[in-house]
Amino acid sequence: MIPTAKRPVSRPDYTGLLGVAAVLLVWELAGRALAGAYILATPLDVLAHILQNAGLIGRALRETLGNAAIGFAAGNAVAILLASAALAWPRSEPVVSGLALLVFCLPLVATGPILRVLYGPGNGPQITLAALAVYYTTFVPLLVGLRAAPAVWFDLVRSYGRGRIAELRFVRARASLPYLFAGLQIAAPAAFLGAMVGEFTGAERGMGVLTIRAMRALDVSAIWALASVAAAVSILAYAAVGLLARLTLTESPPVILAPPPQPRLTGRHVPFGNAALVLLFALLIWWGAMEAFHLSAFFAKRPVDVWQALVTAPDAAETRVRLAVALGETSVFLLPGVAAGLALGAGLAIALMLAPALGAGATFVAVALRSVPIVATAPLVVLAFGRGAVGTITLVAVMVFFPTFVACRHGLRQAPGQVLDVFDSYAAGPVLRLWHVQIPAMLPAFFAAARMSVPASVLAVTVVEWLATGRGIGSLMALSASLSDYDLLWSSVVIVALLSVLGYAGIGVMERRILAVYAAEQVTR
Amino acid sequence: MGSEADITESPGIQCIGLSKAFPGGVEVIRPLDLTLEGGRTTALVGPSGCGKSTLLRLIAGLEAPSAGEVLIGGAPPAEILRKAGLSMAFQDHSLLPWRTVRGNIELALKLARKPADPRAVRDLVRLVGLDGFAETRPGALSGGMRQRAAIARAMVTEPRLLLLDEPFGAVDEMTRRQLADDLPRIWEQRRTTTLLVTHSIPEAVLLADRILVLSPRPARIVADLAVPLPHPHAPGVAATPEFNAIVQAVSAALARGMAAAKPLAAQ
Repeated sequence: MIPTAKRPVSRPDYTGLLGVAAVLLVWELAGRALAGAYILATPLDVLAHILQNAGLIGRALRETLGNAAIGFAAGNAVAILLASAALAWPRSEPVVSGLALLVFCLPLVATGPILRVLYGPGNGPQITLAALAVYYTTFVPLLVGLRAAPAVWFDLVRSYGRGRIAELRFVRARASLPYLFAGLQIAAPAAFLGAMVGEFTGAERGMGVLTIRAMRALDVSAIWALASVAAAVSILAYAAVGLLARLTLTESPPVILAPPPQPRLTGRHVPFGNAALVLLFALLIWWGAMEAFHLSAFFAKRPVDVWQALVTAPDAAETRVRLAVALGETSVFLLPGVAAGLALGAGLAIALMLAPALGAGATFVAVALRSVPIVATAPLVVLAFGRGAVGTITLVAVMVFFPTFVACRHGLRQAPGQVLDVFDSYAAGPVLRLWHVQIPAMLPAFFAAARMSVPASVLAVTVVEWLATGRGIGSLMALSASLSDYDLLWSSVVIVALLSVLGYAGIGVMERRILAVYAAEQVTR
Repeated sequence: MGSEADITESPGIQCIGLSKAFPGGVEVIRPLDLTLEGGRTTALVGPSGCGKSTLLRLIAGLEAPSAGEVLIGGAPPAEILRKAGLSMAFQDHSLLPWRTVRGNIELALKLARKPADPRAVRDLVRLVGLDGFAETRPGALSGGMRQRAAIARAMVTEPRLLLLDEPFGAVDEMTRRQLADDLPRIWEQRRTTTLLVTHSIPEAVLLADRILVLSPRPARIVADLAVPLPHPHAPGVAATPEFNAIVQAVSAALARGMAAAKPLAAQ
């Protein structure tokens, strides 16, 4: 896939500003209508709160931003190393990718408290969680980008007798830049999210700490003010990387949300072999790290401890039942939320193709809101929709909606122009164009979004269960952390991560079947 | 060492029992014996998909043969690749989109580990008719202009062996005629061994000293024709009876090759 080198003629475009103005206006009006309901603070309340507490919020923001920046740098460095390793040794790619996905699927809600115990007081957990939140979203597009060059560019390098180093220097490094920027753009707000989750685990300062305090005090203005600052910082970070990309690149960054399904599988049993290898390496790294750092067996559980807790211990059956009940409660929120988010994201993107005038403004708002961290959204959604099913499902749906919408908008625009010209030459209407050309062209982007929605929705549901509802696996993990029941906590982490990977792989299987019909070139490549 | 001397002079090309089949058993080139004299220009003409480009890639060492060998100046292709004595212009222009026309031409010098030569770059840009576009990126050029930039890039290293895979496919007729006048002159001056793949019979006659006509896949040589027209061509050479006679001969050989292949295809 070669990014196209089109850049629109620059002309002032006010649709984005209009979109923001519309959001602010609706917010102000809704806030006034709901005054006294302890749900919504108006933009003016938010502004007043920020001005009154500028010093406090400023110090907290500096703390969180510092940790996020270090985590951002570390996570991206790891992503670049992993992608380089997969490139240098292509046979390692399935295992490297699998391990990277498995670690990305570790629920931050549980890894946070574990890291807090491991690191003790200080900024370690915040920085580590920020790094964990970003490395995958950079690794995936970079891996695609390093291979995105057409074969003839490599033929050119080889025709002068040069090898892989020259390929990397003259072709791959530069060809992957748009993809790297696409990853960094998503990573910038994600690092902020990671740092805030880290602060929830018992930090002394930071935006996360202020958010927890405001929620406990039911200080609606403070909750909305902190969420607005977090959202603004995330949007600015997203926009800053976007600006840097535009200044550096001659082509627009591609939208890539997930790695393409493995195209080079040669046998029926290869995927299972790779999965077994990933599992083996994961167990070895887990056990090896614990032993290498001499971590206390009280809180740093080894694979064998989790096996005992789930299978051989006298109370294993009870542990399994507790986990199953919690997972059952979570899935009641998770599955409808994901389905609603995917359906609404794709549905709105398709509907806006029929009303192009609305599309530009909506996309700007969606791209901006996509970068708002879940920890900022969660308290607001809980305030608005309560701590029950509606609030949780809404939050999961919101978390899935924005990336799906943005990806589907992009996918719909990938419809080949010449095929659309054929439809135009028969005076076919917009619905026929959508049905026969644009929706099939959207499917790869939709499935990429669906796969990435698995870890994203697990993060959303566990955060909201932890912060608000007190039910489900997120709450069980928070509870077991606070009661120092590390057997249960580690068992939950393992089960959630494995289920996330299985969900991701399951969507991948479905995707390959559908793309084999609608986008065969992506599967047989 | 003899092979070194041959490569730095104008290397001849030898294909000995050369064949190529792709995985799945698709035979592209039947065992082929071929000798091309150094310092001359040879055109490969044949129907689409007959294996012309594959033959070019085998000679360039970009593809490994299934059997047989290629010798360039008496040595395997790896030797001339190692010494950066070869340039290839690909069917797809293969310009890097983030480099300007000048940047793309200079890239060849960097890849060949040769010193920057702004004057040579400027002269080539003018030769291929891209004056005023040196600082333009490929995305803003037409297909023909990109191909001309790719030809300039292939020539800037002054290669001993130049391989051109349908280099004028998208070039407009007027520029094509101009290039057909200029390029053979430069190749002759530099004593470049040139191997050219083309679909256009008149283009082959204008550019080459020798034309090899290939059969439909799997490729074999159905005619080997000399072009006895003096270089540089006199104006209006394309309208002369001699020129037309060669075009007719190539055309007839192509038709014979197609007819002979039909019974095979029907099997």
